[in-house]
Amino acid sequence: MTRQEILNELKKVISPYTTNKEMLAQINEDTDLLKDLKINSANLVDIIIDAEAKYDIEIDYDEADKMMNVGSCIDVISEKIGQKQ
Amino acid sequence: MLSTGNDIVSLNAINVTRTKQPNFYSKILTPTETALHQEPYFATIPFEFFVWLLWSIKESVFKYLQRINPEIIFTPVKFEVTQLQIPASFKIQAFNIKELTGIGFDNIETIKSIIPFGDYVLYSNSLIYNEFISTVVNGAEDFSHTHWGVKQIDSSEVAIQSAEVRAFLIANLKDNSNISIGKNLPGIPIILKDNIRLPIPVSLSHHQEFVAYSFQLPV
Repeated sequence: MTRQEILNELKKVISPYTTNKEMLAQINEDTDLLKDLKINSANLVDIIIDAEAKYDIEIDYDEADKMMNVGSCIDVISEKIGQKQ
Repeated sequence: MLSTGNDIVSLNAINVTRTKQPNFYSKILTPTETALHQEPYFATIPFEFFVWLLWSIKESVFKYLQRINPEIIFTPVKFEVTQLQIPASFKIQAFNIKELTGIGFDNIETIKSIIPFGDYVLYSNSLIYNEFISTVVNGAEDFSHTHWGVKQIDSSEVAIQSAEVRAFLIANLKDNSNISIGKNLPGIPIILKDNIRLPIPVSLSHHQEFVAYSFQLPV
């Protein structure tokens, strides 16, 4: 999967947890999940779990703490997909 | 350095089924913390409440430490609660009032914890009602200079939550003329009087229909 493809799928994962749909439509790799998309921090674990299910990967503790903006989420997901292949 | 950290979790907003799944709670709790729930005195706390209690403590610890080190990253399992004390008679009740404020926690039943992290030993007090869990973290066991408040509001819109929590905080400051709430560069809230920053650390939180604050005055 390309980074753009992961980003497009990630939008769907994030969508239930943000009411800022306008910002979601414009997300890029620099978009911060908490500050820009106003996602409550209590939903960060939900996003990680949903991403795990969507890509059939497992994200452990040390990687989860990097997932604060869209670009770093794509880094982690991309790396995990690569390890599966 | 004086600091404070708080958090609130609306229990109406949590996904109970998901919270009980190991792949979920293992991202919040360490195995040692998970084992704490098996202690007999935690029998009155449902496991899903226990998970979010620990989340609330850890988020509050993060906010406390972020003021000191803005580069710190929030990884729940890296903040480990080593001691958790619950009053023997503790019973979760309904929050039948709209708001609750206090200075310290001497006159209210709370769950207390200790969280060592690096050179710090932090202390917490958590309120649990059927509707929410709210935690305040301090750098000392003495909370007598810690002011806190929890309020139920009518909206879960982020912009309204944000405005409501600021208004609630300002209403509970002793001298609140010409006070405004801003943010410093890392995004941590600060109290301004006549646009000059006051040396009073403050922490704000909101989740769904609840907002909460804490601030710490010098001893």
